[in-house]
Parts: sequence; structure tokens; C-alpha cells
Amino acid sequence: MENAIEVKGLAKYYSSFKAIEDVQFEVKKGEIFGFLGPSGSGKTTTIKILTGQLNATEGDAFVFGENVSVLKNPTARKRFGVLTDNSGLYGRLSIIENLQLYCKLYDLPTSKVDEALDFVNLKDAGKKKISTLSKGMTQRVNLARAILHEPELLFLDEPTSALDPVNTLHIYNGLRALNNRGTTIFLTTHDMQEADTLCDRVAFLHKGKIQLLDKPGILKKQFADGTVTVELSNNEKIVLRKDAEGAEEMFQLMKENRVQTVHSNEPTLGDIFVKVTGGELV
Amino acid sequence: MTFSWKRVNAIFQKDFKDFSRNIAVSIVIFLPIILAAIYGRMGLDSIQAHFLNINMTFAMVGTYVQCCLIAEEKEKNTLRGLMLSPASTLEILGGKSLLSFVLTIVIAFFCAYLSEYRPANITIVAIAIIISSVFFIGLGTLLGLIAKSVMESSVIVLPVIAVFSVGSFVTVWVEKYPILQIVEYLPNVQLIDLATKVEQGAGFGDIISNLAIIVIWTVVVYILTAVVYKKRMVD
Repeated sequence: MENAIEVKGLAKYYSSFKAIEDVQFEVKKGEIFGFLGPSGSGKTTTIKILTGQLNATEGDAFVFGENVSVLKNPTARKRFGVLTDNSGLYGRLSIIENLQLYCKLYDLPTSKVDEALDFVNLKDAGKKKISTLSKGMTQRVNLARAILHEPELLFLDEPTSALDPVNTLHIYNGLRALNNRGTTIFLTTHDMQEADTLCDRVAFLHKGKIQLLDKPGILKKQFADGTVTVELSNNEKIVLRKDAEGAEEMFQLMKENRVQTVHSNEPTLGDIFVKVTGGELV
Repeated sequence: MTFSWKRVNAIFQKDFKDFSRNIAVSIVIFLPIILAAIYGRMGLDSIQAHFLNINMTFAMVGTYVQCCLIAEEKEKNTLRGLMLSPASTLEILGGKSLLSFVLTIVIAFFCAYLSEYRPANITIVAIAIIISSVFFIGLGTLLGLIAKSVMESSVIVLPVIAVFSVGSFVTVWVEKYPILQIVEYLPNVQLIDLATKVEQGAGFGDIISNLAIIVIWTVVVYILTAVVYKKRMVD
């Protein structure tokens, strides 16, 4: 499968501080790729380099097979959408007026505004001024702007960080629908649950370096501790290993009709991150 | 370099709506008109007096308003949004300058009308005013791109306004302090010189050097603006 993004030995230094170092990964076309890490791990730096907003100190980054410098060409910018923490909106204008501006800049019919507002669950709020919106609503308008032109490649920096659970779920469904229509999504987040729900593959970034990269399912199997938790009829919980000894014990408990539920002890992506990096997810 | 009038117009329309709701900046455009009305009633009828109003219009509307509009776009990160859109540098800067240009020309016209300035050769003066407007708007764009915030922009624009609106008064000390001859090459001073020559019956051939100096200032300002703009495209 063709790559939407290819990054080789990418590094960004601010004098002696290394924001990212020797970052290397590929994102396949049509994939939802999660770039995970705590605040300050280098996620936004990477997105900024990939969208041409920041020059790398070392290494190469390619988008659709061409060096990211091609994004200086305005026509090439039609192919991607960006949502970062510094995406700005015009506070004195309404949501609709903001989105209409971008419709015109992207040569789109203004009917696209309704579709985008529906995507972010803001259909009834279109006439509200940006300056009167909550942080979560502003984030949703920013997201609407990023997906307005249904880009081939969408960069999302913490897209649901300020959203409530209902709107988060709405956005997840929208992103999956967009992905099903062919949009590749590069998502940064420190929410491991979000990554697990949405991403085909994830990379763990810690202190500017990629520590681990694979499918969430594979990572969970790789880091599983090989035990199950058995809840007994007296509500007591016991942990059994998934080996011959554990099987015999389980057989005995089942024979005595003492087993209420059995849970596989798979680690979450958060558990794996902490295990690999020794760091906390904040 | 791509160019789409539709995109320029979209940015212009957005700026118009935004500006009309921004009382803090939009109120500034009335200052030159008030000054012109006072001068007109006082019966001041010299080229210096007429062009004090017009240069004030350039400085307040062309430079100050443009500087604030650009600085606000930068401060609120909306300029980065435009830079990441398919709009080219020319479309963004053209769209961002169009409102200031229209306002500057309209207000300069009203100032001339209120102060009862009737140029002997309207074509030459109109061309000079248009080129000067383009220069002052370019200067506003440059200062807006350099400033880190709207607050900072309104501070750094003040000395520039002082030099380019009332700098012509310094020419009275040129004989005493020859170093001040440099002031004679300011675009506002050149514009006054051009208007004075026009009142004395000068044609295009006689004022070409004045126009050329204003054009050189304009070209230099736009080259600097393009360089700073390219730098602002990346962090």
C-alpha cells in the first residue's frame, strides 16, 4: 500500500534541547495513525514539521511521496487539513461566516458548511459568534474547518481534548466515516482510550523518540501478562495463569460451580506506555 | 504564483465584516475626517494644510489600521489558518490590503472635499495619492507582521506615523541642520512637493522624479514585507 506520510530520521533541536530525535515512521494511505505521548513529548512539533509550519533540523519528511516543502505550493495545500492547538478563528464573526470564508478559499460550495456543522454536531449553533463559544465548541468549529474540504490527509492534534463524552463519541463516528471515504488521519493524543478506539496503528513518543510502533491489538498481546481474573460466586477475585496449572485450578472451580465471571487481563495502551517509558501520561 | 480574485474577495469581505464590528480600530478612520472638517472651517488653504490631512489619512488608515488588522491575525493565529489554506501569498496580502486601500482612498477623498482642496491637475494628484496609499498600506502590513501582538503594533506604529505624517515639518530646519535633508526624500514630503508643483502648473514630466521616489519606497517596503511574510509562514 502506498504511503501517505514517510518520515526518516527526523529531528528538531532548539539550541541544546532536543524536541524530537531520529523519528522514523510511515503512515499508509487510508490508515488512522495515532501518535501518542504526554504533553511536551514532541507530538505538535512533528505535526508542524509535517504540515510545513516548522523546519526540521535533520531528516526528511514526505507527504504523498513529495518532500513537505511542496506544501509551500498553495495547490498542494488543498490535499490536507489541519487541526492544531493554535488553529485560530475570527472571534467577531459567526461560526457560519468563519466556515464560509474557508469554503471560498477552497473553491467549495457554501452548502459544505452545513455538512461540516453536522459532522461536529453544531448544526443549530451556526449563527453564534465565535467569541461567545465554550472551549469545546470552538474546538468543534476548528475541526469542522479542518474537514470542510474532505482532505486526503487530515492532521489532528488532540482533537477531542476539550470535548464532553457525547460530542467525543459523535466526533469519533464522524472521523470513522471520513476515514471510510478514504481520508488518511494522523492523530496525536495523550488519551490512550481514544487511540485504542480509533487507530489502526499507534506510535508511542517519549522524550522526542519513538519507543514502540504497532497495531494496538498486537501491542496488547505482546504486553499481556498471561493471566485471567476469575470472579467467584462469593464475589472473591482470584488471578490464574494461563498455563496447565491455572487450567487445572479453573477446571476444579468450574466443577464446583464457583465461577461467576472470567476476565482476560489485557493491558491497556496506557499500561503499556507506562511500562515502556516509565513515564506518566499527562 | 496562483491568483484568484474570488479568494481575494473572500478575504476582503471577511475583513469588512470583522472591521465593522471592531470599534477600537474602526473609530480611528474618523480622525482625519474631523481634522479636515476643522481645517476647512478655519479657512486654511495651503498645500501643507491639505496634505497634513491626506498624509494623516495615509498614516492612520493606511498604516495604523492595516498594522492592527495584520497584527490581530497574527496574534489570534488566524493568519496561520490563511497560510495553510490554498490561498497564495499574493491573494492573502492582496485581500488583507484591499479594505485598507478602499478606506484610505475614500477618506482621502472626503478629507480633500472637506478641506476644500481642488488640485489643478486631478489625474497627477490622483495617481500620486494611489501610489502613496499602496506604500503606506505596505508599511502597515510590514509593521503588523513584525509586531508580536495588537498591543505591540499600536506602539511601534506611532513613531512611524509621526515621521510619515508630520515629518514634512522638519524640512524648515534643513538649512540649520543639513543632515535633515534626508527628510526631503520621505514619500509624504515628495507628495507635498509634487502637489505644490502641480499647483504651479507642472505636468507629468516635471513631477516624474517625485513619483519615482515614492515608487522606490513602495517597492522596498513590499520586498521587505514579502521577506518577513515568508519568515512568518514557519515558526
